[in-house]
Amino acid sequence: MRRETQNVLLVLLGGALCKLVLSGAHTRYVKPSMGPWLLTAGALIVLLAGIAIVRDIVTSHPVDDGHEHHHDSRSTWLLVLPVLAVFLIAPPALGADSVQRAQPREPVPKANFAPLPPGRVLPMTMSDFVTRSAYDASNSLASRSVRLAGFAVRQGGDTYLARLVITCCAADAMPLKVRLVSPGLRGLRSNDWVEVTGRLVPGSADARTNFSPDLRVGSIHRIGEPSDPYEH
Amino acid sequence: MTTQITRVAKRPRKTTSLEILCGLLILAAVFQGLLGELFDTPSLRTGSTVFVAICVQAMPFLVLGVLISGAIAAFVPASALRRLLPRRDSAAVGVASLAGVALPGCECASVPVARRLMQQGVAPAAAVAFLLAAPAVNPVVLVATAVAFPGSPEMVLARFAGSLATALVMGWLWARFGRVDWIVERALRALPVRDGGSKWAAFAETARTDLVSSGGFLVLGGLTAAALNVLVPSSWLVGLGSNLVLGVLVMALLAVILALCSEADAFVVASLSALPLLPRLVFLVVGPVVDVKLIAMQAGTFGRAFALRFAPVTFVVAIVCAVAAGLLVLGGVR
Repeated sequence: MRRETQNVLLVLLGGALCKLVLSGAHTRYVKPSMGPWLLTAGALIVLLAGIAIVRDIVTSHPVDDGHEHHHDSRSTWLLVLPVLAVFLIAPPALGADSVQRAQPREPVPKANFAPLPPGRVLPMTMSDFVTRSAYDASNSLASRSVRLAGFAVRQGGDTYLARLVITCCAADAMPLKVRLVSPGLRGLRSNDWVEVTGRLVPGSADARTNFSPDLRVGSIHRIGEPSDPYEH
Repeated sequence: MTTQITRVAKRPRKTTSLEILCGLLILAAVFQGLLGELFDTPSLRTGSTVFVAICVQAMPFLVLGVLISGAIAAFVPASALRRLLPRRDSAAVGVASLAGVALPGCECASVPVARRLMQQGVAPAAAVAFLLAAPAVNPVVLVATAVAFPGSPEMVLARFAGSLATALVMGWLWARFGRVDWIVERALRALPVRDGGSKWAAFAETARTDLVSSGGFLVLGGLTAAALNVLVPSSWLVGLGSNLVLGVLVMALLAVILALCSEADAFVVASLSALPLLPRLVFLVVGPVVDVKLIAMQAGTFGRAFALRFAPVTFVVAIVCAVAAGLLVLGGVR
Protein backbone atom coordinates (compact mmCIF):
# COMPACT_ATOMS: atom_id res chain seq x y z
CA MET A 1 0.00 0.00 0.00
CA ARG A 2 1.22 3.46 -0.82
CA ARG A 3 2.33 5.83 1.88
CA GLU A 4 -0.37 8.40 1.00
CA THR A 5 -3.05 5.71 1.20
CA GLN A 6 -1.79 4.63 4.61
CA ASN A 7 -1.99 8.20 5.83
CA VAL A 8 -5.52 8.67 4.51
CA LEU A 9 -6.53 5.42 6.19
CA LEU A 10 -4.98 6.55 9.49
CA VAL A 11 -6.84 9.87 9.32
CA LEU A 12 -10.09 7.93 8.79
CA LEU A 13 -9.28 5.55 11.66
CA GLY A 14 -8.41 8.34 14.10
CA GLY A 15 -11.47 10.24 12.93
CA ALA A 16 -13.66 7.19 13.57
CA LEU A 17 -12.40 6.96 17.15
CA CYS A 18 -13.03 10.68 17.77
CA LYS A 19 -16.47 10.46 16.19
CA LEU A 20 -17.41 7.57 18.49
CA VAL A 21 -16.53 9.57 21.59
CA LEU A 22 -17.98 12.90 20.44
CA SER A 23 -21.31 11.29 19.52
CA GLY A 24 -21.31 9.31 22.76
CA ALA A 25 -21.67 6.05 20.82
CA HIS A 26 -18.51 4.62 22.40
CA THR A 27 -20.56 3.47 25.41
CA ARG A 28 -22.01 0.75 23.17
CA TYR A 29 -18.59 -0.87 23.00
CA VAL A 30 -16.50 0.15 26.02
CA LYS A 31 -16.75 1.66 29.49
CA PRO A 32 -17.70 5.37 29.44
CA SER A 33 -14.48 6.17 31.32
CA MET A 34 -12.49 5.04 28.26
CA GLY A 35 -13.80 8.12 26.43
CA PRO A 36 -10.87 10.50 27.06
CA TRP A 37 -8.34 7.78 26.20
CA LEU A 38 -10.11 7.01 22.93
CA LEU A 39 -10.24 10.69 22.06
CA THR A 40 -6.52 11.07 22.82
CA ALA A 41 -5.67 7.97 20.80
CA GLY A 42 -7.80 9.15 17.87
CA ALA A 43 -6.22 12.60 17.91
CA LEU A 44 -2.70 11.13 18.08
CA ILE A 45 -3.40 8.82 15.13
CA VAL A 46 -4.62 11.79 13.06
CA LEU A 47 -1.61 13.80 14.22
CA LEU A 48 0.91 11.09 13.23
CA ALA A 49 -0.70 10.82 9.79
CA GLY A 50 -0.85 14.62 9.51
CA ILE A 51 2.85 15.01 10.30
CA ALA A 52 3.72 12.46 7.63
CA ILE A 53 1.49 14.15 5.05
CA VAL A 54 2.90 17.62 5.77
CA ARG A 55 6.50 16.39 5.72
CA ASP A 56 5.94 14.58 2.42
CA ILE A 57 4.55 17.76 0.89
CA VAL A 58 7.22 20.05 2.32
CA THR A 59 10.19 17.85 1.39
CA SER A 60 8.36 16.89 -1.85
CA HIS A 61 10.24 13.63 -1.91
CA PRO A 62 9.02 10.78 -4.05
CA VAL A 63 9.05 8.96 -0.73
CA ASP A 64 7.77 5.57 -1.79
CA ASP A 65 9.25 5.71 -5.29
CA GLY A 66 5.86 4.82 -6.63
CA HIS A 67 5.83 1.08 -6.13
CA GLU A 68 3.87 -0.68 -3.52
CA HIS A 69 6.69 -2.83 -2.25
CA HIS A 70 6.32 -3.76 1.42
CA HIS A 71 5.00 -7.28 1.05
CA ASP A 72 3.69 -7.15 4.61
CA SER A 73 1.46 -4.22 3.82
CA ARG A 74 -1.51 -6.22 2.55
CA SER A 75 -2.75 -6.56 6.15
CA THR A 76 -2.94 -2.77 6.36
CA TRP A 77 -6.08 -2.97 4.22
CA LEU A 78 -7.81 -4.55 7.20
CA LEU A 79 -7.81 -1.14 8.87
CA VAL A 80 -10.65 -0.28 6.47
CA LEU A 81 -12.93 -2.69 8.36
CA PRO A 82 -13.25 -0.84 11.70
CA VAL A 83 -13.59 2.44 9.78
CA LEU A 84 -16.46 1.09 7.68
CA ALA A 85 -18.02 -0.59 10.72
CA VAL A 86 -18.01 2.64 12.73
CA PHE A 87 -19.12 5.02 9.98
CA LEU A 88 -21.55 2.86 8.01
CA ILE A 89 -22.82 -0.07 10.08
CA ALA A 90 -22.50 1.45 13.57
CA PRO A 91 -23.27 -1.84 15.36
CA PRO A 92 -25.80 -1.40 18.19
CA ALA A 93 -25.12 -2.20 21.83
CA LEU A 94 -25.33 -5.89 22.70
CA GLY A 95 -28.86 -7.03 23.43
CA ALA A 96 -31.19 -10.01 23.60
CA ASP A 97 -29.01 -12.21 21.37
CA SER A 98 -26.11 -12.06 23.86
CA VAL A 99 -28.44 -12.83 26.75
CA GLN A 100 -29.69 -15.94 24.98
CA ARG A 101 -26.15 -17.22 24.49
CA ALA A 102 -25.40 -16.81 28.15
CA GLN A 103 -23.84 -19.57 30.16
CA PRO A 104 -25.48 -20.78 33.36
CA ARG A 105 -24.59 -18.89 36.51
CA GLU A 106 -22.83 -20.65 39.32
CA PRO A 107 -23.94 -20.97 42.93
CA VAL A 108 -21.92 -19.05 45.53
CA PRO A 109 -22.38 -19.13 49.32
CA LYS A 110 -24.91 -16.70 50.79
CA ALA A 111 -23.62 -13.66 52.65
CA ASN A 112 -24.98 -10.68 54.52
CA PHE A 113 -25.38 -7.54 52.41
CA ALA A 114 -25.49 -3.93 53.59
CA PRO A 115 -29.04 -2.81 54.47
CA LEU A 116 -30.93 -1.02 51.66
CA PRO A 117 -31.80 2.67 52.02
CA PRO A 118 -35.40 3.48 52.98
CA GLY A 119 -37.97 4.70 50.45
CA ARG A 120 -41.26 3.61 48.96
CA VAL A 121 -39.89 2.55 45.58
CA LEU A 122 -36.20 1.82 45.48
CA PRO A 123 -34.29 2.40 42.22
CA MET A 124 -31.70 -0.38 41.89
CA THR A 125 -29.14 -1.60 39.39
CA MET A 126 -29.89 -4.98 37.88
CA SER A 127 -26.65 -6.41 39.25
CA ASP A 128 -27.48 -5.36 42.80
CA PHE A 129 -31.01 -6.75 42.53
CA VAL A 130 -30.01 -10.09 40.98
CA THR A 131 -27.13 -10.62 43.42
CA ARG A 132 -29.21 -9.81 46.48
CA SER A 133 -32.13 -11.94 45.32
CA ALA A 134 -29.94 -15.03 45.14
CA TYR A 135 -27.17 -14.61 47.68
CA ASP A 136 -28.39 -12.30 50.45
CA ALA A 137 -28.74 -14.22 53.69
CA SER A 138 -30.39 -11.21 55.36
CA ASN A 139 -33.19 -11.07 52.77
CA SER A 140 -32.93 -7.30 52.38
CA LEU A 141 -35.25 -7.39 49.34
CA ALA A 142 -38.15 -9.02 51.19
CA SER A 143 -41.34 -6.95 50.73
CA ARG A 144 -39.47 -4.07 49.11
CA SER A 145 -40.75 -2.38 45.98
CA VAL A 146 -37.94 -1.78 43.47
CA ARG A 147 -37.48 -0.03 40.14
CA LEU A 148 -35.26 -1.61 37.47
CA ALA A 149 -34.28 -0.56 33.95
CA GLY A 150 -33.28 -2.92 31.17
CA PHE A 151 -34.32 -4.39 27.86
CA ALA A 152 -36.87 -7.14 27.24
CA VAL A 153 -35.89 -10.64 26.13
CA ARG A 154 -38.53 -13.11 24.99
CA GLN A 155 -37.33 -16.63 25.50
CA GLY A 156 -39.34 -19.86 25.53
CA GLY A 157 -42.72 -18.25 26.26
CA ASP A 158 -41.33 -16.16 29.12
CA THR A 159 -40.44 -12.49 29.15
CA TYR A 160 -37.30 -11.36 30.93
CA LEU A 161 -35.87 -8.02 31.85
CA ALA A 162 -32.15 -8.13 31.05
CA ARG A 163 -29.03 -6.01 31.24
CA LEU A 164 -25.41 -6.74 30.34
CA VAL A 165 -22.48 -6.02 32.64
CA ILE A 166 -19.14 -5.15 31.07
CA THR A 167 -15.81 -4.67 32.83
CA CYS A 168 -13.59 -3.61 29.94
CA CYS A 169 -15.34 -3.89 26.59
CA ALA A 170 -18.39 -5.58 25.08
CA ALA A 171 -16.34 -8.74 24.45
CA ASP A 172 -16.49 -9.57 28.16
CA ALA A 173 -20.20 -8.81 28.64
CA MET A 174 -22.08 -10.91 31.19
CA PRO A 175 -25.88 -10.96 31.21
CA LEU A 176 -28.28 -10.50 34.12
CA LYS A 177 -31.87 -11.66 33.82
CA VAL A 178 -35.04 -11.15 35.81
CA ARG A 179 -38.19 -13.05 34.80
CA LEU A 180 -41.19 -10.73 34.66
CA VAL A 181 -44.42 -12.05 36.18
CA SER A 182 -47.36 -10.08 34.82
CA PRO A 183 -50.40 -10.71 32.62
CA GLY A 184 -49.82 -7.59 30.52
CA LEU A 185 -46.54 -8.21 28.65
CA ARG A 186 -47.93 -9.16 25.23
CA GLY A 187 -46.90 -6.00 23.39
CA LEU A 188 -43.28 -6.23 24.55
CA ARG A 189 -40.69 -7.31 21.99
CA SER A 190 -37.07 -8.37 22.49
CA ASN A 191 -34.68 -5.41 22.83
CA ASP A 192 -37.44 -2.94 23.87
CA TRP A 193 -36.08 -0.82 26.71
CA VAL A 194 -38.40 -0.58 29.71
CA GLU A 195 -38.51 0.59 33.31
CA VAL A 196 -40.25 -1.85 35.63
CA THR A 197 -41.51 -1.40 39.18
CA GLY A 198 -42.26 -4.51 41.17
CA ARG A 199 -41.45 -6.91 43.99
CA LEU A 200 -39.19 -9.94 44.17
CA VAL A 201 -41.01 -13.29 44.25
CA PRO A 202 -39.41 -14.76 47.40
CA GLY A 203 -37.23 -17.82 46.88
CA SER A 204 -37.41 -17.61 43.07
CA ALA A 205 -33.67 -17.25 42.53
CA ASP A 206 -32.14 -20.67 43.05
CA ALA A 207 -30.28 -23.34 41.08
CA ARG A 208 -33.56 -24.38 39.41
CA THR A 209 -34.02 -20.96 37.78
CA ASN A 210 -30.29 -20.55 37.18
CA PHE A 211 -30.21 -17.89 39.94
CA SER A 212 -32.30 -15.41 38.00
CA PRO A 213 -35.14 -14.11 40.17
CA ASP A 214 -38.81 -13.51 39.33
CA LEU A 215 -40.27 -10.03 39.65
CA ARG A 216 -44.00 -9.51 40.20
CA VAL A 217 -44.60 -6.45 38.02
CA GLY A 218 -46.51 -3.51 39.48
CA SER A 219 -46.02 -1.09 36.61
CA ILE A 220 -44.03 -1.11 33.40
CA HIS A 221 -43.32 1.62 30.84
CA ARG A 222 -41.11 2.04 27.83
CA ILE A 223 -37.97 4.19 27.95
CA GLY A 224 -35.33 5.07 25.38
CA GLU A 225 -32.01 3.28 25.34
CA PRO A 226 -29.93 4.85 28.15
CA SER A 227 -26.76 6.73 27.19
CA ASP A 228 -24.82 3.94 28.86
CA PRO A 229 -26.57 0.70 27.89
CA TYR A 230 -24.39 -1.45 30.19
CA GLU A 231 -23.84 -1.82 33.92
CA HIS A 232 -20.30 -1.99 35.27
CA MET B 1 8.80 8.30 -34.03
CA THR B 2 5.03 8.60 -34.13
CA THR B 3 4.52 4.96 -33.18
CA GLN B 4 6.71 5.42 -30.16
CA ILE B 5 4.66 8.37 -28.92
CA THR B 6 1.40 6.45 -29.21
CA ARG B 7 2.94 3.55 -27.31
CA VAL B 8 3.94 5.77 -24.44
CA ALA B 9 0.51 7.33 -24.31
CA LYS B 10 -1.21 3.95 -24.35
CA ARG B 11 0.90 2.37 -21.64
CA PRO B 12 -1.64 0.99 -19.13
CA ARG B 13 -1.62 3.11 -16.00
CA LYS B 14 -1.43 1.05 -12.80
CA THR B 15 -4.31 1.66 -10.43
CA THR B 16 -2.93 3.06 -7.18
CA SER B 17 -4.00 1.91 -3.75
CA LEU B 18 -5.36 5.39 -3.04
CA GLU B 19 -7.79 5.02 -5.93
CA ILE B 20 -8.80 1.57 -4.72
CA LEU B 21 -9.44 2.97 -1.24
CA CYS B 22 -11.57 5.80 -2.60
CA GLY B 23 -13.53 3.37 -4.78
CA LEU B 24 -14.06 1.09 -1.80
CA LEU B 25 -15.33 3.92 0.38
CA ILE B 26 -17.68 5.21 -2.32
CA LEU B 27 -19.05 1.71 -2.97
CA ALA B 28 -19.57 1.15 0.75
CA ALA B 29 -21.35 4.49 1.11
CA VAL B 30 -23.60 3.81 -1.90
CA PHE B 31 -24.54 0.35 -0.68
CA GLN B 32 -24.82 1.37 2.96
CA GLY B 33 -28.48 0.29 3.12
CA LEU B 34 -27.68 -3.14 1.74
CA LEU B 35 -24.76 -3.43 4.18
CA GLY B 36 -27.08 -2.58 7.06
CA GLU B 37 -29.59 -5.25 6.00
CA LEU B 38 -26.80 -7.79 5.70
CA PHE B 39 -25.87 -7.19 9.32
CA ASP B 40 -29.43 -7.39 10.56
CA THR B 41 -29.30 -11.01 11.73
CA PRO B 42 -28.87 -11.23 15.52
CA SER B 43 -25.63 -13.22 15.56
CA LEU B 44 -23.92 -11.04 12.92
CA ARG B 45 -24.99 -7.96 14.83
CA THR B 46 -23.55 -9.37 18.05
CA GLY B 47 -20.38 -10.35 16.20
CA SER B 48 -19.91 -6.90 14.66
CA THR B 49 -20.47 -5.19 18.01
CA VAL B 50 -17.86 -7.42 19.65
CA PHE B 51 -15.47 -6.78 16.75
CA VAL B 52 -15.75 -2.99 17.04
CA ALA B 53 -15.49 -3.28 20.83
CA ILE B 54 -12.22 -5.24 20.66
CA CYS B 55 -10.68 -2.86 18.12
CA VAL B 56 -11.81 0.29 19.96
CA GLN B 57 -10.69 -1.03 23.34
CA ALA B 58 -7.25 -1.98 22.03
CA MET B 59 -6.51 1.21 20.04
CA PRO B 60 -5.35 3.42 22.96
CA PHE B 61 -2.99 0.65 24.09
CA LEU B 62 -1.67 0.15 20.56
CA VAL B 63 -1.06 3.90 20.25
CA LEU B 64 0.79 3.86 23.59
CA GLY B 65 2.86 0.93 22.32
CA VAL B 66 3.86 2.57 19.05
CA LEU B 67 4.73 5.84 20.83
CA ILE B 68 7.05 3.96 23.20
CA SER B 69 8.47 2.06 20.24
CA GLY B 70 9.05 5.32 18.37
CA ALA B 71 10.68 6.88 21.42
CA ILE B 72 13.05 3.94 21.81
CA ALA B 73 13.99 4.14 18.13
CA ALA B 74 14.57 7.88 18.17
CA PHE B 75 15.93 8.70 21.60
CA VAL B 76 17.49 5.54 23.06
CA PRO B 77 20.69 4.67 21.22
CA ALA B 78 21.43 0.96 20.87
CA SER B 79 24.57 1.43 22.97
CA ALA B 80 22.54 2.67 25.94
CA LEU B 81 20.30 -0.40 25.82
CA ARG B 82 23.35 -2.65 25.63
CA ARG B 83 24.83 -0.96 28.69
CA LEU B 84 21.54 -1.28 30.56
CA LEU B 85 21.12 -4.99 29.97
CA PRO B 86 23.51 -7.65 31.27
CA ARG B 87 25.77 -9.08 28.59
CA ARG B 88 24.82 -12.69 29.31
CA ASP B 89 21.55 -13.64 27.61
CA SER B 90 20.23 -15.57 30.59
CA ALA B 91 20.71 -12.59 32.91
CA ALA B 92 19.28 -10.18 30.32
CA VAL B 93 16.15 -12.32 30.16
CA GLY B 94 15.62 -11.81 33.89
CA VAL B 95 16.07 -8.05 33.70
CA ALA B 96 13.78 -7.78 30.65
CA SER B 97 11.03 -9.83 32.35
CA LEU B 98 11.08 -7.58 35.40
CA ALA B 99 11.13 -4.51 33.14
CA GLY B 100 7.72 -5.67 31.94
CA VAL B 101 6.34 -4.36 35.25
CA ALA B 102 6.85 -0.85 33.95
CA LEU B 103 4.61 -1.02 30.86
CA PRO B 104 1.06 -0.64 32.09
CA GLY B 105 -0.69 -1.76 28.94
CA CYS B 106 -2.13 -4.86 27.40
CA GLU B 107 -0.57 -7.23 24.92
CA CYS B 108 -1.24 -4.97 21.93
CA ALA B 109 1.25 -2.44 23.30
CA SER B 110 4.05 -4.89 23.92
CA VAL B 111 4.38 -6.34 20.40
CA PRO B 112 5.68 -3.17 18.69
CA VAL B 113 7.90 -2.40 21.69
CA ALA B 114 9.46 -5.88 21.71
CA ARG B 115 10.15 -5.62 17.99
CA ARG B 116 11.78 -2.23 18.43
CA LEU B 117 13.98 -3.62 21.21
CA MET B 118 15.20 -6.40 18.89
CA GLN B 119 15.85 -3.94 16.13
CA GLN B 120 17.91 -1.79 18.53
CA GLY B 121 20.19 -4.74 19.15
CA VAL B 122 18.66 -6.23 22.30
CA ALA B 123 19.08 -10.03 22.35
CA PRO B 124 15.90 -11.65 20.94
CA ALA B 125 15.70 -13.84 24.06
CA ALA B 126 15.39 -10.75 26.27
CA ALA B 127 12.93 -9.07 23.91
CA VAL B 128 10.79 -12.21 23.89
CA ALA B 129 10.79 -12.31 27.71
CA PHE B 130 9.69 -8.67 27.78
CA LEU B 131 6.97 -9.39 25.20
CA LEU B 132 5.46 -12.06 27.45
CA ALA B 133 5.98 -10.36 30.81
CA ALA B 134 4.73 -6.84 30.02
CA PRO B 135 1.02 -7.56 29.57
CA ALA B 136 0.80 -9.92 32.54
CA VAL B 137 2.85 -8.60 35.46
CA ASN B 138 2.22 -4.86 35.29
CA PRO B 139 0.58 -3.10 38.25
CA VAL B 140 -2.71 -2.31 36.46
CA VAL B 141 -3.34 -5.97 35.70
CA LEU B 142 -2.35 -7.08 39.20
CA VAL B 143 -4.65 -4.52 40.84
CA ALA B 144 -7.50 -5.61 38.55
CA THR B 145 -6.88 -9.21 39.64
CA ALA B 146 -6.94 -8.21 43.32
CA VAL B 147 -10.25 -6.38 42.82
CA ALA B 148 -11.77 -9.31 40.93
CA PHE B 149 -10.81 -11.86 43.61
CA PRO B 150 -11.54 -10.06 46.88
CA GLY B 151 -11.87 -13.36 48.75
CA SER B 152 -8.57 -14.83 47.61
CA PRO B 153 -5.74 -12.25 47.46
CA GLU B 154 -3.23 -15.07 46.94
CA MET B 155 -4.45 -15.17 43.31
CA VAL B 156 -2.48 -11.97 42.67
CA LEU B 157 0.79 -13.53 43.81
CA ALA B 158 -0.01 -16.77 41.97
CA ARG B 159 -0.70 -14.86 38.75
CA PHE B 160 2.45 -12.78 39.11
CA ALA B 161 4.57 -15.88 39.77
CA GLY B 162 3.02 -17.93 36.96
CA SER B 163 3.32 -15.16 34.37
CA LEU B 164 6.86 -14.16 35.35
CA ALA B 165 7.93 -17.82 35.27
CA THR B 166 6.42 -18.19 31.78
CA ALA B 167 8.36 -15.16 30.51
CA LEU B 168 11.62 -16.35 32.10
CA VAL B 169 11.30 -19.94 30.83
CA MET B 170 10.43 -18.78 27.31
CA GLY B 171 13.33 -16.33 27.34
CA TRP B 172 15.78 -19.01 28.46
CA LEU B 173 14.37 -21.52 25.97
CA TRP B 174 14.92 -18.94 23.23
CA ALA B 175 18.46 -18.22 24.42
CA ARG B 176 19.21 -21.97 24.30
CA PHE B 177 17.29 -23.15 21.20
CA GLY B 178 16.04 -20.05 19.39
CA ARG B 179 17.35 -19.09 15.97
CA VAL B 180 17.40 -15.58 14.62
CA ASP B 181 16.40 -16.73 11.12
CA TRP B 182 12.96 -17.70 12.44
CA ILE B 183 12.31 -14.00 12.73
CA VAL B 184 11.67 -12.30 9.42
CA GLU B 185 14.43 -10.00 8.34
CA ARG B 186 12.13 -6.95 8.12
CA ALA B 187 11.42 -7.11 11.86
CA LEU B 188 15.11 -6.68 12.65
CA ARG B 189 15.93 -4.15 9.95
CA ALA B 190 16.46 -0.64 11.19
CA LEU B 191 14.17 1.93 9.63
CA PRO B 192 15.88 4.06 7.02
CA VAL B 193 16.62 7.49 8.38
CA ARG B 194 14.89 10.04 6.14
CA ASP B 195 16.70 13.17 5.01
CA GLY B 196 18.89 13.04 8.11
CA GLY B 197 15.97 14.77 9.85
CA SER B 198 15.57 15.51 13.52
CA LYS B 199 15.02 12.91 16.23
CA TRP B 200 11.44 14.07 16.60
CA ALA B 201 10.81 13.39 12.93
CA ALA B 202 12.26 9.89 13.34
CA PHE B 203 10.03 9.40 16.39
CA ALA B 204 6.85 10.35 14.51
CA GLU B 205 7.80 8.32 11.45
CA THR B 206 8.60 5.15 13.43
CA ALA B 207 5.40 5.43 15.45
CA ARG B 208 3.38 5.90 12.26
CA THR B 209 4.96 2.95 10.48
CA ASP B 210 4.46 0.68 13.51
CA LEU B 211 0.86 1.79 13.83
CA VAL B 212 0.15 0.94 10.20
CA SER B 213 1.78 -2.48 10.38
CA SER B 214 0.48 -3.56 13.82
CA GLY B 215 -2.97 -2.04 13.36
CA GLY B 216 -3.88 -4.34 10.48
CA PHE B 217 -3.02 -7.43 12.49
CA LEU B 218 -4.88 -6.15 15.50
CA VAL B 219 -7.97 -5.91 13.30
CA LEU B 220 -7.37 -9.45 12.03
CA GLY B 221 -7.15 -10.71 15.61
CA GLY B 222 -10.28 -8.77 16.55
CA LEU B 223 -12.17 -10.39 13.68
CA THR B 224 -11.10 -13.87 14.76
CA ALA B 225 -11.92 -13.27 18.40
CA ALA B 226 -15.34 -11.80 17.55
CA ALA B 227 -16.20 -14.78 15.34
CA LEU B 228 -15.18 -17.27 18.01
CA ASN B 229 -16.98 -15.26 20.67
CA VAL B 230 -20.21 -15.80 18.76
CA LEU B 231 -19.55 -19.34 17.46
CA VAL B 232 -18.14 -21.18 20.49
CA PRO B 233 -21.06 -22.47 22.57
CA SER B 234 -20.90 -21.45 26.19
CA SER B 235 -22.10 -24.93 27.13
CA TRP B 236 -18.39 -25.81 27.05
CA LEU B 237 -18.14 -24.46 30.55
CA VAL B 238 -20.84 -26.63 32.06
CA GLY B 239 -19.66 -29.41 34.31
CA LEU B 240 -15.98 -28.50 34.13
CA GLY B 241 -15.70 -28.22 37.88
CA SER B 242 -15.73 -31.98 38.33
CA ASN B 243 -12.80 -32.88 36.07
CA LEU B 244 -9.67 -30.93 36.90
CA VAL B 245 -7.48 -31.89 33.93
CA LEU B 246 -10.29 -31.16 31.50
CA GLY B 247 -11.00 -27.91 33.36
CA VAL B 248 -7.39 -26.75 33.03
CA LEU B 249 -7.23 -27.60 29.32
CA VAL B 250 -10.56 -26.04 28.40
CA MET B 251 -9.80 -22.86 30.36
CA ALA B 252 -6.41 -22.61 28.62
CA LEU B 253 -8.08 -23.03 25.21
CA LEU B 254 -10.77 -20.50 26.10
CA ALA B 255 -8.08 -17.99 27.06
CA VAL B 256 -6.61 -18.39 23.57
CA ILE B 257 -9.84 -18.03 21.62
CA LEU B 258 -11.59 -15.36 23.68
CA ALA B 259 -8.57 -13.01 23.46
CA LEU B 260 -9.71 -10.84 26.35
CA CYS B 261 -7.69 -7.82 27.35
CA SER B 262 -5.40 -8.70 30.25
CA GLU B 263 -7.03 -5.95 32.28
CA ALA B 264 -10.49 -7.52 31.98
CA ASP B 265 -9.85 -11.25 32.07
CA ALA B 266 -9.73 -11.48 35.87
CA PHE B 267 -13.30 -10.19 36.15
CA VAL B 268 -14.53 -12.72 33.63
CA VAL B 269 -13.01 -15.77 35.33
CA ALA B 270 -13.88 -14.49 38.78
CA SER B 271 -17.52 -14.99 37.84
CA LEU B 272 -16.99 -18.68 37.02
CA SER B 273 -17.10 -19.59 40.66
CA ALA B 274 -18.04 -23.24 40.13
CA LEU B 275 -14.51 -23.85 38.89
CA PRO B 276 -11.66 -24.34 41.37
CA LEU B 277 -9.05 -21.56 41.50
CA LEU B 278 -6.40 -23.53 39.59
CA PRO B 279 -8.11 -23.70 36.17
CA ARG B 280 -9.01 -20.04 36.55
CA LEU B 281 -5.37 -19.20 37.29
CA VAL B 282 -4.39 -21.09 34.11
CA PHE B 283 -6.78 -18.85 32.16
CA LEU B 284 -5.16 -15.73 33.63
CA VAL B 285 -1.60 -16.88 32.89
CA VAL B 286 -2.26 -18.19 29.36
CA GLY B 287 -4.47 -15.32 28.12
CA PRO B 288 -1.93 -12.47 28.14
CA VAL B 289 0.87 -14.53 26.51
CA VAL B 290 -0.97 -16.41 23.77
CA ASP B 291 -4.34 -15.68 22.18
CA VAL B 292 -5.70 -15.37 18.65
CA LYS B 293 -5.26 -11.60 18.56
CA LEU B 294 -1.67 -11.87 19.76
CA ILE B 295 -0.83 -14.73 17.37
CA ALA B 296 -2.06 -12.61 14.45
CA MET B 297 0.05 -9.65 15.59
CA GLN B 298 3.16 -11.81 16.19
CA ALA B 299 2.81 -13.54 12.82
CA GLY B 300 2.52 -10.14 11.18
CA THR B 301 5.37 -8.54 13.07
CA PHE B 302 7.91 -11.33 13.42
CA GLY B 303 6.81 -13.64 10.60
CA ARG B 304 4.89 -16.89 10.34
CA ALA B 305 7.89 -19.11 11.02
CA PHE B 306 8.27 -17.40 14.38
CA ALA B 307 4.59 -17.52 15.37
CA LEU B 308 4.19 -21.19 14.37
CA ARG B 309 6.94 -22.22 16.79
CA PHE B 310 6.47 -19.60 19.46
CA ALA B 311 2.73 -19.77 20.14
CA PRO B 312 2.38 -23.54 20.77
CA VAL B 313 5.48 -23.66 22.99
CA THR B 314 4.29 -20.62 24.94
CA PHE B 315 0.90 -22.28 25.38
CA VAL B 316 2.43 -25.40 26.95
CA VAL B 317 4.96 -23.49 29.06
CA ALA B 318 2.26 -21.14 30.35
CA ILE B 319 0.01 -24.05 31.42
CA VAL B 320 2.89 -25.77 33.21
CA CYS B 321 4.02 -22.55 34.94
CA ALA B 322 0.45 -21.71 35.96
CA VAL B 323 -0.14 -25.15 37.44
CA ALA B 324 3.20 -25.02 39.27
CA ALA B 325 2.46 -21.53 40.62
CA GLY B 326 -1.00 -22.69 41.63
CA LEU B 327 0.31 -25.67 43.55
CA LEU B 328 3.02 -23.62 45.26
CA VAL B 329 1.19 -20.36 46.02
CA LEU B 330 -2.40 -21.51 46.35
CA GLY B 331 -1.25 -24.70 48.05
CA GLY B 332 -3.29 -27.02 45.84
CA VAL B 333 -6.25 -27.01 43.51
CA ARG B 334 -8.65 -25.05 45.80
